Amino acid sequence: MRRKILITGGSSGIGLALANRLSIHHDVMVTGSRPQTDITEPFSSDLIYVQASQSEPETAVKTIAEALLKAGWVKLDNVVLNAGTGFAVKDAIDDIGRLRETMDINLTATILLSRTLYPWLAKAGGTLSIVGSVAHKGQALFPAYAASKGALNAFARALRSEWQSRVAVQILHLGPTRTDMHAKAGHDPGRLRSIFMRPSSMAAMMEFAMASKRSPLTLSFRRYASAGSRLGRNL
Amino acid sequence: MRALVTGGSAGLGQALCDALLADGFQVVNLDCDPPKVISEAGYLYCDLSSREDVDKALDALTAQAGFDLVIFNAGISATGKFEDISTASHARIIAVNAEAPMVLCAALMKFGKINHGGNIGFVSSLSHFTGYPGAASYAASKDALAVYARAVRKTWQRKFNIKVTAIFPGPLKTDHAARHSPEGADAEKRMTPDEAALLILRDIKKGRAHSILGGAAKKLLFWGKLRLNR
Repeated sequence: MRRKILITGGSSGIGLALANRLSIHHDVMVTGSRPQTDITEPFSSDLIYVQASQSEPETAVKTIAEALLKAGWVKLDNVVLNAGTGFAVKDAIDDIGRLRETMDINLTATILLSRTLYPWLAKAGGTLSIVGSVAHKGQALFPAYAASKGALNAFARALRSEWQSRVAVQILHLGPTRTDMHAKAGHDPGRLRSIFMRPSSMAAMMEFAMASKRSPLTLSFRRYASAGSRLGRNL
Repeated sequence: MRALVTGGSAGLGQALCDALLADGFQVVNLDCDPPKVISEAGYLYCDLSSREDVDKALDALTAQAGFDLVIFNAGISATGKFEDISTASHARIIAVNAEAPMVLCAALMKFGKINHGGNIGFVSSLSHFTGYPGAASYAASKDALAVYARAVRKTWQRKFNIKVTAIFPGPLKTDHAARHSPEGADAEKRMTPDEAALLILRDIKKGRAHSILGGAAKKLLFWGKLRLNR
């Protein structure tokens, strides 16, 4: 069965890798902050792209809802709220502007999208997958980022027990992945980068995780090494 | 000794201000409402949901002498079906409960307005350990503070000798708790704000990483943890 899938933060990195992967068998709409012409990574021609920057949560939510209506989508089987940003800081003291941006993109926009997309998800009995981070327990290098991801963890937990059988809610705590996230965050992981997951491997694990509907799940080297992603079921 | 308390005009914040005053602190209360009762604490207006207001308050605060003790206590809630709560209310909860305290704290730190040897407290919620269906955005905002406190604690202690405490109160005998607790919840068993304030200040001054109030809360925490680990 072809599913209707919405993925935020899909103009690069993990979001785009997941969108490309899922677009082979499903209808996928992706959102991103940049214009489509600025996308540099391979972008499947089957994808529907919506430009909506989550640094303005209210506007982004409206744009995305309008795009769904325009495309004639009346239900969503899967929503992956993946868009996120973060900044490395010195002495654990965040810059104010960046702290606000992090909260807008990672937390507020995710909550508002969950709220607004509910009717679409409920109609399909769908799954809402929220992308967290292994930093969700706190990290001095990215305090505001860690706080936003910790907040998403609590959010997903509360919403999962509230929505129960109507819409499955899950949080996926992703480990470090070879995307441009670290460069954008102003952090050079150095040689460690060579052991980071490839976005395509992460996308494979995410599809498996989405099909399982379990929560919370940590998707990192260890799960990859246990072959879960390669032998895993598809959506 | 100077102290800053957000949301000090009512409830737990008011009790914290009173306890600090009794302890000999000079206290500044940052709140959007004027104090409910006349207090010796200095009052500074700020609607924490407005970034403009927060920036203005920061201008005023950073023009003053530094603080020895800062408690980020202000918080709002919205309970009900998640999808029935307006997007504006959800955004407001995150702005007031999570973003504003983190912004205020980071800015005060940046300008060196929290004195070395000082203490910072973030009022999170017991929901950090137990979950809180029916208040998902509130739970999110309070976990943001718990995680933020954990993220900065070691670095600030090592570099600035500033200790950070995450505070996890359960429902207290306050108007806020009365508005947002389930029907039929027994308010008699709850701690008064004054009792809670004393325990919280004790833990903050000791520089504890966590302040968890009361035996019932600790029991709840234990079961909550078991549930989470399952």
